Amino acid sequence: MRRGPGIAGLQHAVRQKEQFKAAGEEVKKNTLQALQEQLVAFRSSLEEFARRHRSEVRSDPVFRAQFHAMCASVGVDPLSSSKSLWASALGLGDYYYELGVQVVEACLASRSLNGGLMELGALQRAVARRRGTSAEPVSQDDVVRAIKKLRVLGGGFELLSIGGRSFVRSVPGELNTDKNTAIEAAGSRGFTSVPELSVAKGWPQGRAESVLQALTLEGLAWVDDGAPDRVRLYWFPCLGGAAQEAA
Amino acid sequence: MTAPGFTFPYFHNYPPYFTLQPVKETRDKQIALWGSLVLTYCQHTKTFILDSQAPSPLFVNDAINRKLNTEARIAVLDDLVAQGRAEWLDKSKRQCLILWKRIDEWVAVLLDFVRTYGLSDSVMTLDELSSGDDVRGTDLYGLHHEVLQRMLRVLEAQGKVRTFKGETPGELGIKFV
Repeated sequence: MRRGPGIAGLQHAVRQKEQFKAAGEEVKKNTLQALQEQLVAFRSSLEEFARRHRSEVRSDPVFRAQFHAMCASVGVDPLSSSKSLWASALGLGDYYYELGVQVVEACLASRSLNGGLMELGALQRAVARRRGTSAEPVSQDDVVRAIKKLRVLGGGFELLSIGGRSFVRSVPGELNTDKNTAIEAAGSRGFTSVPELSVAKGWPQGRAESVLQALTLEGLAWVDDGAPDRVRLYWFPCLGGAAQEAA
Repeated sequence: MTAPGFTFPYFHNYPPYFTLQPVKETRDKQIALWGSLVLTYCQHTKTFILDSQAPSPLFVNDAINRKLNTEARIAVLDDLVAQGRAEWLDKSKRQCLILWKRIDEWVAVLLDFVRTYGLSDSVMTLDELSSGDDVRGTDLYGLHHEVLQRMLRVLEAQGKVRTFKGETPGELGIKFV
């Protein structure tokens, strides 16, 4: 039997459409609810996990880094606020504030020696020395996190990479490409000279000279006139050698 | 002159510290570090008079082939003089009296010694005070006459000692009142 396109047929189609829509909304609501429940459950088990492993998170730098990675992947920031549940569960907010203060102290103490540019590893060791031998170990990841928190203060603390090594700059100011190149050329030996830099980079002597003089003025380079061939050497305390261990 | 048992600080192995830095802030820090090294080194080696031009291991590091030049040495010592921790003994700034203990600190050591050994009212000569048997094993042993004379000037002004001229400067008699 074939039903024609009567009024009843049209009404039936409208009803059917409404029913489908209602059913769809029902399903959508259920899924959303389930997802919310799952998220709440996940959040609480993550909190539970954080509480249970609080001491490990605080004392073990590797574990702490993994915990941060896990939190980041689910979009939770345990450091976002010291008032958050996370801070109270873990006490991490305070941990990084304290570390931040130690980072600032270490940078200030060594500033007149290295011009405010410090290699990340050296900063980590300096901070560890400040905390004393009985304190829990600090990883580079922790130092980087603490520095990122310091940015809020606008103090000009920044992380930068020169020649594949990470540095922390604690005085505001730009390192232009020439300065970066000069520090990079000094490399692991920790020093360079006007002739050496101009030959290595194909620069005219004047360009090498003005870059090295600018770096000296900023306190990033120290001059050394004691070389046997009397060529003035420019040393970078931030590249290692003895000076950075002073902090 | 060598210094057995003395550990030089980190910067003594870092070549640029042996060149006087052209930038003021850097130079100030450099001179301060050298100044405190001079004091600890002289204390360790019991050096009272430092010859600013002598090839002392204090200012020379053969391992890295660097030495502090005379101008820089004088700058370091001038800074100590300004802090009251040293005194030039000649106009040409060659001989420098290094006060790794200040005069008043030395005076306290001497008064403590006099009290401990019950030497009030007794008379000692300058030589006995710096190298006699009584002071052997104390901080006073080997104390340079230049320091002792400065101490006595302070003590005399305070009325705590009376001095009597001897036949030689070393025989100067000192009575603790």
